[in-house]
Amino acid sequence: MTSSPLLARLLRIEWLPLLAMAVAAIIVLALISSSFFSTYNLFVMLRILSVTSLVALSQMVTIAIGQMNLAVGAIGGLVAILFGAMLELYGVPIPLAVLAAVGVGLACGAINGWLIAWTRINGFIITLAMLSVFTGLNYGITKSIPFYNMPQALKSAYDSYLGPVPMILFIPVLAALGVGFILNFTRAGRHMLAMGGNPAAAELAGISISRTTIFTHVLSGGLAGLAGVVAVARLGTAEPTIGADWLLASFAAPVIGGAALAGGYVSVIGTMIAVVLVILLENGLLLARTNPFYVQFFLGALILLAVMFNQWRARRVAMRVTTRRVVSP
Amino acid sequence: MSDVIEPRAGARAGAASWGDRLLRVAHAGGLLLVIVLITGGASLFVPNFLSPFNQFTLTRNLGVDIIIGFGMMVVLGLGHMNLALGAIGACAAMVVGFCLQTLGLPIPLAIAGAILAGALLGALNGVLVVRTGLDSFIITLATASLYFGLMFILTRAEAFRDLPADFSALGKGRVGPYSSFLVIAGVVAAGLVVIFNFSELGRQILATGANRTAASLSGIPVNRVIIVTHALSGAIAAIAGVMVTARLASALPSIGEEWLLPSFLAPLLGGTLLAGGFVSVIGAALGAILLSVLQNTLVLLNVSGFWIQFFLGLALLAAVGIDRWRVVQTQKRGTPGR
Repeated sequence: MTSSPLLARLLRIEWLPLLAMAVAAIIVLALISSSFFSTYNLFVMLRILSVTSLVALSQMVTIAIGQMNLAVGAIGGLVAILFGAMLELYGVPIPLAVLAAVGVGLACGAINGWLIAWTRINGFIITLAMLSVFTGLNYGITKSIPFYNMPQALKSAYDSYLGPVPMILFIPVLAALGVGFILNFTRAGRHMLAMGGNPAAAELAGISISRTTIFTHVLSGGLAGLAGVVAVARLGTAEPTIGADWLLASFAAPVIGGAALAGGYVSVIGTMIAVVLVILLENGLLLARTNPFYVQFFLGALILLAVMFNQWRARRVAMRVTTRRVVSP
Repeated sequence: MSDVIEPRAGARAGAASWGDRLLRVAHAGGLLLVIVLITGGASLFVPNFLSPFNQFTLTRNLGVDIIIGFGMMVVLGLGHMNLALGAIGACAAMVVGFCLQTLGLPIPLAIAGAILAGALLGALNGVLVVRTGLDSFIITLATASLYFGLMFILTRAEAFRDLPADFSALGKGRVGPYSSFLVIAGVVAAGLVVIFNFSELGRQILATGANRTAASLSGIPVNRVIIVTHALSGAIAAIAGVMVTARLASALPSIGEEWLLPSFLAPLLGGTLLAGGFVSVIGAALGAILLSVLQNTLVLLNVSGFWIQFFLGLALLAAVGIDRWRVVQTQKRGTPGR
């Protein structure tokens, strides 16, 4: 490792190529479209970022332990309509409603985690079943009718500024810092990554697989619930369809960001840059006035290219590096 | 996906012991018993359940659901997934619509073209999985988006609605009071039973699913098996896409959007393992029957469509839970053959 060439050294920082791509995308978009740097367009992207970053982090934590949470969108949708119902039907004060809504998300995650830990059935099947259960509850309660009358205070809080900085910028930043802190500096986070790396070895080392599974799914459910709340604030209505299209995005960002689906390795920074990259892609196609269907096509292509690149990078790094960090900050 | 349970390690590829066979029969028998109970209850207490109209629609949906389940089942045999099943079904539907309406091809040729297109898209999934060495979950999640996007771009999301009457008549065919779709499902099931029980390919799929390294060391062309299996899955998805097109008498781009849950439900209810190395064709068909009958009964009982998804989720939980419980009980007593 003493005389590793520059390329190899740069390749080891797994989010650097992503950052380069994002910067390149920004430059290209700024050159192509004069309206890219307009306050309006930046704010539009920031609004999307406020929800998608939470969705991505929610999936990322379950990927860290080598599982999946297919119910991320279903939890987000259920929390969104319960949040809307609390505000519209029962006039619950906003802070209390936010707390209660996130609590519902945590509870949904706890049910997922407890079912997986107790039955020892693959998390994929359990969360697929709970996806159906949560979505069914959502539509059963609302009969597919949104709650339209959200208090003005909610919208104005969402669109407010702290000095020159929009409040909604704090949502992704704080969430990423929180998840990064848990993964890197807490015992629970170390247990999660150890379990993701090798569950059998982790169990032999005295880590409780059940407790770690439940903790992770509670965390994932809480983040998904928070995403549901933010989505309601963003849209100004509590729609039952919130979360229905989160599945692809939730996996796209962590995987583009370098996470191993087998578990044990995730990158918070990589995931966040990947979210930005996906938003830039969508925004670019929007500014170029292409058919909206192109977004889906290019997003699929982007995921494929990114995972292939990540694999190539991992092979290059594996050839040169013997020691390996478990998680990047 | 590291928490995969392997309850019936002995019932995987290779010679199954009598105990394992008994367990399999018990599983299928249990499923059959539940189906008989629900069907019997519905026949007695739910008005219109036995009406000719309901029997026809029930079996028509069932025929499609069985085939969707088979499409997922074959890749589950490898321990893989195919999340692009619905996207391939949609692409096949649009291909058959394009061939019939725009090109004016004869019906058998159009159907063959759609199935070929499905097989090619599936094979592309397989090639990507083999070449990149990545999890089939993430590959097919990406290609699902890719295929849907491409199909939307090419068709501009416009449906093909002027299909020949002879083609839509396929969706109205009857065998007694039942839909002729059941016959198609039966033919596909028979083909899969032959593949998995009596052919070299079937043994190779299950061996690869059980232990890829061991399969490779024993001379099985693992990569080719993976590509062929994904192509088979794509072709089966295409058959389902064509059937839905015939039923709707038009090729809609929205076909396949809701296939994800039923595609997993049928094989998993039927005892197919996520881990690979074991499939049950009869089980997947029974799983689809259970699903369709349950869904149909709830509709007839005036349960709001919104709640049905809720109950289907609970049914999946109950099914895998009971299965797990039974395996644990058997292991406590000491499974024969382990």
